[in-house]
Amino acid sequence: MAPERHRILMVSDFFYPNFGGVENHIYYLSQCLLELGHKVVVMTHAYGNRSGVRYMTGGLKVYYVPWRPFVMQNTLPTIYGTLPIVRTILIREQISLVHGHQAFSTLCHEALMHARTMGYKVVFTDHSLYGFSDVGSIHMNKVLQFTLADVTQAICVSHTSKENTVLRSGIPPEKVYMIPNAVDTAMFMPAEERPGGNEIVIVVISRLVYRKGADLLVEVIPEVCQLYPNVRFIVGGDGPKRVRLEEMREKHSLQDRVDMLGAVPHASVRSVLITGHIFLNSSLTEAFCIAILEAASCGLLTVSTRVGGVPEVLPDDMIVLAEPDPTDMVQSIKKAISLLPGIDPQAMHERMKKLYDWHDVAKRTEIVYDRALKCPNQPLLGRLSRYLSCGSWAGKLFCLVMTIDFLLWHLLKLWQPEEDIDKVPDFVIPTGETSSAFDQELDDQSSS
Amino acid sequence: MDVGISNETLSRPRAKWRKVAYGGMQPGFDDNHTDESFLEDMVMNANVVKRDITKVILDSVSISQYLCIVSLVILVWNYTLQSTLDEYSLLFLDVGLLASGFVTLLLTREMCSLGLFFHYLLNIGFFTTGLYVLSPIYNTLTRSISSDTILAVTVSLIVLHLFLHDYSGCPIGVPGGALFTAPSLTSCVSLNASVVASVFIASRLPSRLHVFAVMLFSMQVFLFAPFVTYCIKKCSLALHLVFSCGLMALTLSLVYALHKLLFVVLLGLLVFVSVVCPCWLIRIQEYKFEINGPWDEAKLCFDIRD
Repeated sequence: MAPERHRILMVSDFFYPNFGGVENHIYYLSQCLLELGHKVVVMTHAYGNRSGVRYMTGGLKVYYVPWRPFVMQNTLPTIYGTLPIVRTILIREQISLVHGHQAFSTLCHEALMHARTMGYKVVFTDHSLYGFSDVGSIHMNKVLQFTLADVTQAICVSHTSKENTVLRSGIPPEKVYMIPNAVDTAMFMPAEERPGGNEIVIVVISRLVYRKGADLLVEVIPEVCQLYPNVRFIVGGDGPKRVRLEEMREKHSLQDRVDMLGAVPHASVRSVLITGHIFLNSSLTEAFCIAILEAASCGLLTVSTRVGGVPEVLPDDMIVLAEPDPTDMVQSIKKAISLLPGIDPQAMHERMKKLYDWHDVAKRTEIVYDRALKCPNQPLLGRLSRYLSCGSWAGKLFCLVMTIDFLLWHLLKLWQPEEDIDKVPDFVIPTGETSSAFDQELDDQSSS
Repeated sequence: MDVGISNETLSRPRAKWRKVAYGGMQPGFDDNHTDESFLEDMVMNANVVKRDITKVILDSVSISQYLCIVSLVILVWNYTLQSTLDEYSLLFLDVGLLASGFVTLLLTREMCSLGLFFHYLLNIGFFTTGLYVLSPIYNTLTRSISSDTILAVTVSLIVLHLFLHDYSGCPIGVPGGALFTAPSLTSCVSLNASVVASVFIASRLPSRLHVFAVMLFSMQVFLFAPFVTYCIKKCSLALHLVFSCGLMALTLSLVYALHKLLFVVLLGLLVFVSVVCPCWLIRIQEYKFEINGPWDEAKLCFDIRD
């Protein structure tokens, strides 16, 4: 039986030219799905002057919808404002399935709502962990409950993230699939020769904010420098807590032991990582830490705080876990230093190639898409009953919102009939020959 | 022999499901497999305090007591505006309140050094002089504004003051006091609201001495009453209860003499605060659902000192 060819629309506020976990996830997943023969289109908001339709590697079409972001890279939530443009894109590209990313993205929630109204199947991926008790989280969880009340399938990036999403939104756990992120092992290769000498270099690359545990670093670095005279730190990244780290450096006179590199562009991350032996991650909360995968792919031993989904990410011999407490972290660094002689970066890299692969992620996502498309269609009334269970006041409000969306959609069908919208012809890049520069690059790199 | 091997492969049990993210899809299990260990690390209601209704009612007495104090202030303002109370009796009232406040402080606080006493007296002296010097300004402040506006603004400001007031402690930090808690933003806003309301009322009065007397009275009550009641409460609970009941009785009788409807409103408010709200709190406390688990953001166990 020939595998079905899907036409997928990826929606999120977070995409290239921004760099980050969600952005990279969408890009790599789209590239691997294109290689499997599916059609992928990405929809996001305009970034500065970058507005309109762009094409990326492998024929990935990106719609930079001309909406300006208003806070933290999110578009202004107008609830019904995005209905015309989403409908046009869905009809033009003859989409069969919509895949939204990140609970914090307003564009994603709106697009998923419109897609459900118009009868398309919808998949949602959640990339972060949220709490339950502060005001922001309570509102965010209510919005998530609205979106996930009627989603066809959901994907989470770790088991802890799955538990968190199920608790926040109340959807049955069988609807949630656990598909982790992966790492581009071709880009993150270890150095040919391990940085030798007597020195042990510990690398830290993260945004220097409270959430990423920059305060823990301020306590841990002087302690470790005092215990081990041959240890050096390289700290990459920028943020509000950088001042505290500089002060700590001055106070303990560690200018020659601690290098502060400032913001490291994504392309240079590998060159910073390969100068080190140990990678230190001190985040206070993490759904799935891709930085750890990048470090392990470059052959570094990881020391990390035991928070969120981090214990699930690497096998026990590639990572040393610590409680988010300075004394415990120093103990773990001590243990890591003692384990260092037994670590072979090339062997670690080869292992990582087997443990994490974007092609594997794409295949598992394809299974989710197949399941989603097999789910039966439901008329409006059947769907409204799912929204009613969201809460005594909220349920009725959500039903009202969906009903108005339905009416607006019918109005739009009268005003701008489907026959008047030009459909984009399919151009398929044959899968027999080298289908994308992506593959070519892989071949080049592995042979050099 | 072949049959034996094939039987073996058929009966080999599939590997146990592990809660890990690496290694691709686990053989024999779907990606949406939900194990029995799902949500086993969740902890519910770990920090929830069980409330007792008598204690909650006793705690609500502080709120009703402060409501009565503010009602008394409004009564005095009303009588002054109607010229029932003249400025000399008002000045008498001020001095009397100041003296009784001092006596209460001396009786309820353990330390009563003479140095501290003179320090307080000096501060009061500066304050009073300042008010006396500024009273001509207050007198003509709102001459061009209509009385209705003033009344509406004053009422809103008093409501804001009551809403944001810090009922658990004292808004002014006491130097050398046992508990010096920094005043929060809302308690500062409420104090300012009450001060501005007093200025507006004072500006409606005919003569400078009137203005000075009323300002001094309002400032005394709004600035020092929370502190005095806090000291009484800290000294002994019985004294606090007796004082509050007496105050409530006094307020209710004075309001009854003024206007029947206002009396009913005040009585209703006091009953609501003392009886209805505690019962309501106990009832909805049962719905409290606190969730903790491995997804929580880790709390730093040390203080961040800059």
